[in-house]
This record gives sequence, structure tokens and C-alpha cells, in this order.
Amino acid sequence: MRLLGVFKEDNREFFLLQDEDKFFKSDDQNLKDEFFNYDLIKNRDVLIGSEPVEGEGVFNFRYGPVTAGVKEAGVFNIYTYGERILSVNIDPSYKKRDIERLILKKNIDEGLKFAESVCGNFAVSHSLAFCRALENCAKLDLPEDAVRLRVVALELERLYNHTTVFLKLARGASQNVLTSHLSFVFEELLRINRDFGLGRFLKGVVVPGGVRVNKNANFEDLSKRLLGLKDKFEELYEHALKSYNFIDRIHNTAPLNKELALKIGVTGPTLRACGVKEDLRMKEKGYEKLSVVVEEDGDSLARMEVRVKEFLNSTDVIVDNLAKVKDWERLKGVDLKDFNGEGIGYSESPSGLLVYYVKLNRGILENVYISTPSVFGFKAFSEAFKGFIFTDFSFAFDSFGVHFSDCAR
Amino acid sequence: MKPWVFYGLSNRLTERFKKKDDKVKGLSPVFRNSLHIFPIDVGNDNELNFEIEALQSAQYNIHRFGIFFTDSPRHADVLLVLGKCTEKMVTPLKETINQLPEPYGIVVVEGNQPFGLKPKELDLDNVLAYYERCLSADEILSVLLNIMEVKR
Repeated sequence: MRLLGVFKEDNREFFLLQDEDKFFKSDDQNLKDEFFNYDLIKNRDVLIGSEPVEGEGVFNFRYGPVTAGVKEAGVFNIYTYGERILSVNIDPSYKKRDIERLILKKNIDEGLKFAESVCGNFAVSHSLAFCRALENCAKLDLPEDAVRLRVVALELERLYNHTTVFLKLARGASQNVLTSHLSFVFEELLRINRDFGLGRFLKGVVVPGGVRVNKNANFEDLSKRLLGLKDKFEELYEHALKSYNFIDRIHNTAPLNKELALKIGVTGPTLRACGVKEDLRMKEKGYEKLSVVVEEDGDSLARMEVRVKEFLNSTDVIVDNLAKVKDWERLKGVDLKDFNGEGIGYSESPSGLLVYYVKLNRGILENVYISTPSVFGFKAFSEAFKGFIFTDFSFAFDSFGVHFSDCAR
Repeated sequence: MKPWVFYGLSNRLTERFKKKDDKVKGLSPVFRNSLHIFPIDVGNDNELNFEIEALQSAQYNIHRFGIFFTDSPRHADVLLVLGKCTEKMVTPLKETINQLPEPYGIVVVEGNQPFGLKPKELDLDNVLAYYERCLSADEILSVLLNIMEVKR
């Protein structure tokens, strides 16, 4: 069982829990002591990471919120005596937008916009988890074509996110030619998104009870372009593995062991890179071609390898689903304005498990709790980075694929 | 293994770029051939950060136009403000503007998120262009090229 969140409802504290593919809430207060990550979740908006360290010569090197090394508005407090990193804690409050409060009393359409705006590069994952929570609440079943198109959207999102992680690692190691070719793949993927969905980040594709895709989309052409990019990506990966300069920087960098990863609550590629074969997509429709990638070492290289292999597999999943979709003109969604009740929805985002708890009253959002993979990813980074030196920062941090916007909702 | 450097030269990844005309204020004729940009995220949902990443892709090859991203606002000619402001980013934004050398310009791209403080409420000086929506990489490039072209 995994603790994903802690939230208030009717002046009581509830726990959002996962047991394999089942999600539920509980108000059993004994659970507090059972989970190592309870404090992490409670303090996720204030400070994530390890305790500050004091001692002779130890100082806090504050990295962010305005620096070229940290692209998003966030702060890393790095405790060091000049070389080795003793402790790291992360302040996500600069990016805090208070979305879970602002979304309350909004209707479903407005709520969907808020969910998509939590983290633009996880827009499909957020909207999918939000819509699944609503659909669970309304006990809606989706037509097969809608399920398949949602799989396509989610996997397209995975492709460009995984490419960015690979690209950032290559850039960190000054692999300029590799970076340039990967940036080409990245931009092409955004253009494929635009031609499939309604924008370069696939916002507006997933809606309650359906999907909305570009009415002029040519699925055959999209598949062909994707397979071309897959070949190029595979060649670039082989090229990267032959560069000792590159591999030396990420091999054995910021390793995370399986036990600690599970205790923190990490999911997604980071957990699979530690040797845990866990992926909720295995049990979903539309993933007949899925093969779950697992690596053993848990370091930056393992995390990169998982992402690259997932990229290759995801293109097969997309092409398979695009070929099986028959009629997608009528999947425009369902109006849920009169529904009451509560529901939990999840999605396997590019960086791990993303879960929404939603409570509805006549189609108005009464309570929303969002559990995002970046909260656990930041904690995992802070643990894995201890003992390394500052020049390893980008290799350690970028390999986790976490984002302040996803963390500080 | 492919000789990637030569592959890049023979299979040109860079595309011809046709900028769209856009109403922007000019900065100075000094920047006609070169413009240095510092992007600052003040609370956008990452979509704009990813567009900046895409702007640096081989297709656009912005260096051919003399456009470069800097690592410090002290080396920048234009500050690119991305997103609507979160409460805690107001002070860092103002401090970053203080660090810009004269003459400088500011371009604001708010994005589409339905929350946050609009940068126009902060009365920023030297705003060359202001967009209340998200811009894609090619649109941002158009804006920058227009700024380089326009004389004050």
C-alpha cells in the first residue's frame, strides 16, 4: 500500500491511498505512523528534502529562483562546505499557485482548464486523471476509440518529455551534436502533437467522457512520421552509449536504492530504474504492445535508459492504437453538470503516478486534491544527490524528470 | 554509427524562417545584428519554458540571426517574462530588471493559465511587447526578429 496524499474534508484528515490498481481514501488516523512519507506529503508546499546541516565551514548555497541552471521558479538550498553536498532541501513556494484552492466552486469546464494548467508538459496526464475522477464519480464507460485516442495522447506526451530529459543530460555533458539532433526530434514531436491534437502540448484533447482531436488529423501520416523519429532516436541513443565522456558523467551518479524509493513513494521511470516492475498501464486497455522497461542500477544512467527504451516502446503503442481507431468524430465528451459524488482518477504520467481526488456537488467542484509525481521525485533527488559534488547537479536533477510546476500546484 | 556532424551538414535540419509582422516597440539600432535574451519564469505552467527549449532547436537555428540566450540578466538586452506572476516571484522579477544593463527591453508572454498576477499590473518599464496568450517557438522568434528590425 502507498500513501499518495493527505487532505482535509469536513474538518477531518483523510489519506489518499493506493493498493496496486485500487485507489481509495481513509480517515484511519493510525496510518499516520505507518508511512515514512507522511511528513513529506504534509510539508510538500513548504520544504522538500533533507534537514539543514550546520558545522565548521558549512554554508547554504542557494540555487534559484532566477538562475540559468534552474529554468523554473524554485529554490534549491544546497548545504556544502565547498565541494561535497551534505544536504539539499527544495523550496517550491516560488511556483506555488494555490490551484487546489482556486479550483473550488468552479464548474467542470473551468476545472479542466485549471487541471491542464498545473503543468503544461503534463497537460494530458493531469486532464486524464481529472477526467477519470469525474467519470468514476458519474460511473461513465468510454467507447473503445476514445480510450485508444487517450492512450495516443498520453504516449505522445511521454515521447516529448522523455526526449527533453535525454536532451538535458546530453547538454549537461556538452554533447553539442547529440543535443542539437535531440532538439530536432523534440521540436518535431511538438509539431506532431499540434497535428494530432489542438495544440503543441495537447491541451483540450482529453475531456470528460471523450476526446477532441484535430479533425484534419491524418493518422497514417502521423504514424509514418513517428516511426521515422523512432529510428533517428534509436541511432542517437546508440551514439550516446558510445561516448565515454557522456556515460562517465551519468553512470553511478545519484543512485537511488529500491527500498528508499519505495519508502519515499517514487513511481514511474525513477522507480522502474531501481528494478521495480510497476506500471499501471499494464492493466489498461490500449496497451497490447506495452513492454515495461526495468533497469537495476537506479542511477542517472539507468533512469535515462528506462526513458529511452520507453520512448521506443511508446511509438509502437501509438502506431498500434492509431491503426485500430475507427470512428473518432463522435467522441466529443459528455456533460456532467448535474452530477454529485466523489471519484478518484489516475494517470501514468511521464514521471510517475498522478492522482486526482474530486468531490462534486451538482457539477460544481467541492473538493480537489492532486497528488503529483514531482513531490516524491524532488525528495528522491535530495536523497540521491547527497555526497555528490555540484558539477553533478544537472545530471542528477534532470534525470528525475521532475518539475516545480507539477510539484507546486 | 553515423558521423552525425556530417549527417547534420548534408541533411539540413535548419529551416527557412519567414517572420510574421508583429506590432512591437524597437529597442535600439545597436541590436540590429545581435540580441541577447534572458528568460525568467515567474510562474508559468512550463509550457512557455518548453517553447523556449524548442526555440533552441536545430529547425530554428536562432544563432544565425544573432539571437543568443544568456546565463545572467547582466548580459541581456531583452528580458523575456514567462507567465503570470506568483506572489513570491514579484520581488525576484523586479530585482532581475534592476540587474539589466541600459538600454534594455522587456517582452511579456502571459500564457493561457487562468490564475496568477498579470505582469501589466506591476507597471514594468520598457515593455516592448505584451502577449496575453501563449506563444509558440516560431511566434517568439518572430517577435524577437521584429524587435531587432524596428528602430526606436
